[in-house]
Amino acid sequence: MTILSICAHGFVYCPILVVLIYNLFNHEFARKHFIWFAGAGATWQILTSAAGFFVLHQSGQNGYAFGALWDPGLPGSAYFELSGPRFLLLLIVGLVAFVSVLVAHHTVDFNRSSYTNLLMILVLGMNGMLLVTDLFSLYVFMEVTGLCCFIMIAMFRSRADLEGSFKYLILSELSSIFILTAVAFLMMKTGSLRYTDLAGLGSRISAGSGRLEDVLFYAALVLLISGFAIKTGVVPFHSWLPDAYQSADTAVSILLSGAVNKVAGVYGLIVVMELFGDVAPVGKSLAAVGIVSIIIGALLAVRQPHYKRVVAYSSVSQMGYILLALSTGTTLGLVAALAHIFSHTAFKSTLFTNAAALQEQAGTLELQDLGGLENQMPVTAFTSIIAFLSTAGIPPTAGFWSKILIILALWQAGSPVLAAVALIAGILSSAYLIRLQRTVFFGQTRPELAGVKEAHGSVLTAEILLTVITLGLGLLYPYILMLLHAGGIL
Amino acid sequence: MNLVTVLLIIGLLMIFAGCWCLMRTYHLLKITIGIEVAMKAVTLFLVLAGRISGSLALSETFVITVMVAEAIVAVVGTGTAVGLFRKYGSMDVRNLKQLKG
Amino acid sequence: MNTIIYISAGLMLIFGVYAVMEHSILRAAIGLALSSASLSVLLYVLGAHLAAVFELSVCSGLVTVIFIAGISLSHSPKMEIQKEYRDKERNRQLPLVLIGAGLLLVILALTLQLQTPQLGEVAADQDVRDVLWGNRQADIWGQIALILCGGVAVAVLFREERREKK
Repeated sequence: MTILSICAHGFVYCPILVVLIYNLFNHEFARKHFIWFAGAGATWQILTSAAGFFVLHQSGQNGYAFGALWDPGLPGSAYFELSGPRFLLLLIVGLVAFVSVLVAHHTVDFNRSSYTNLLMILVLGMNGMLLVTDLFSLYVFMEVTGLCCFIMIAMFRSRADLEGSFKYLILSELSSIFILTAVAFLMMKTGSLRYTDLAGLGSRISAGSGRLEDVLFYAALVLLISGFAIKTGVVPFHSWLPDAYQSADTAVSILLSGAVNKVAGVYGLIVVMELFGDVAPVGKSLAAVGIVSIIIGALLAVRQPHYKRVVAYSSVSQMGYILLALSTGTTLGLVAALAHIFSHTAFKSTLFTNAAALQEQAGTLELQDLGGLENQMPVTAFTSIIAFLSTAGIPPTAGFWSKILIILALWQAGSPVLAAVALIAGILSSAYLIRLQRTVFFGQTRPELAGVKEAHGSVLTAEILLTVITLGLGLLYPYILMLLHAGGIL
Repeated sequence: MNLVTVLLIIGLLMIFAGCWCLMRTYHLLKITIGIEVAMKAVTLFLVLAGRISGSLALSETFVITVMVAEAIVAVVGTGTAVGLFRKYGSMDVRNLKQLKG
Repeated sequence: MNTIIYISAGLMLIFGVYAVMEHSILRAAIGLALSSASLSVLLYVLGAHLAAVFELSVCSGLVTVIFIAGISLSHSPKMEIQKEYRDKERNRQLPLVLIGAGLLLVILALTLQLQTPQLGEVAADQDVRDVLWGNRQADIWGQIALILCGGVAVAVLFREERREKK
């Protein structure tokens, strides 16, 4: 057993082990101490993804293949594989799960044991999506991820929770149907769905050959892109996203915005770009969807009456940036997309953690009932300013650098117009952020909020942790740029 | 018009009917049934793909996994619908007006 | 052989559309089960024997049971649910739209004259069990996660409400 194999198997085994061990304890004990179990699972994920990356990097291999039950020696088998860019997403999954547990310690009360079980299965689902090397297995784990999310939103069982969950379920299943149909169409052509067999399929197909499978191949591409776009929640497939984010408990909203829509949606599109990026319309349609959702998402965010809804529409807009970076199809584009995914995770989780603090202390998230909380909640106000700066792409935060990388990638790929639009749309995002900050934290304190105090305990810890990450990455970015330059990417 | 074309057309029509049900019906359980109807066609496509490409055993394993997923989706959809019924006393989609922006 | 395929595929479509159109939710669930049964005949004729069994037991059996459980849990004494929504009017156009779409697809298929693939022979040397256990470990792991998920779903979503007073 090498360190690498322990890390690798841990991604698949550890969540299930935690579920099994957790359910051995009696209900009251488990409910009281859920934070230790879920926290241990998340911490293990963070540590192994970091350790695994360094070990793999040291050994100089490209990837490490392993099977869940036994070794992947058989021809044509669908095994798991650890490789470079996946580590970042695995790290994000661990980090977001950790923050969510910290917040859930305050917000989740009755459903703690279900929350822990579902969180671990969700982590397993997302790990599976990131590790598989086969399009069908990707679908299976995507379904696991989606189902966990529906249950996690619905389990609090207020009217809004159930409604948000059902809307999410409808659109998510629509995307599942699309993706499975696409999988079947692709299989008609190749007879296998492993990434290695599918890669470069686009170059082997000519549009005018008059064969049915070739026509179905293009249909499959359309279905794949729209399926994963629904999961990402970009315009025009965004209608479920604000409802689901608003209705879910804040600990679950953090999971949804921080990890789920990146792993289930954006990572799917990354796979599509890796496999079929040589078919020109794929990149172009991603760019079109991206630019539309940057602008529409920001415009819709300005008018929302609820704190979480503003943040949710801001997510729609930021996902647009990530798709725009992906659409270039270059290595720099992928790096920029991953960088923005990471900084988006940091600042969006901060905003949702602040939402949890506001909900707990002020008791409401309707913007008309909030105001002037700057003096009562100084840490929350400060962390949210940092998160806003990062969202709007203002230095020295992580968001600034990742947006710069996106614009550089677009410029390098020969689309300066898109780069300019992306730059200008940043102004739109500052508009809704300034509105949010002004109504919630600045101005006159409302008399009914006079007794509000600062958040405490684990919520405060999570806020500070995430802000440190945002600022720290912002200060570290020149070093990362240097590494990119040394690697010949920039 | 050979067999494959006919089966493809029938499957596409069925997916269309399922998606129609997702978008146009007012009954929550009916929406879940719509998902299942569309999934039937997808199952057919998977087996058809296996037969065309000569790897039927592989597509059979896919179909078995898809069925498990389908059953769990039915459980979750029905559970959420029942939860909504307990809140509103009816299964009408038009009750869902809590979330607006 | 081909006749059975055509008939069962046609029945599958008809029962599926019936499930979508039907006013009563119980009959819709039965329509879905019948559609599923037709599909399992189709799968058997196409050579996917194991999948056919699963289709019959899981989709036609288990899923119908789930729906009927849902129906009985949501039973309202006045039966007002049935009157309240007007699916019938909204779904009346569906057969017309489907016939239109079907004609369009047939005309497309006839005019484009695409080279369609033929059904290959069923290879005798492949066994589903070997493929499933030997090659598809990731899927099996996913199935385990799915079933855990379903267990939690039943425990959480179908539970009576009295414990959750906030």
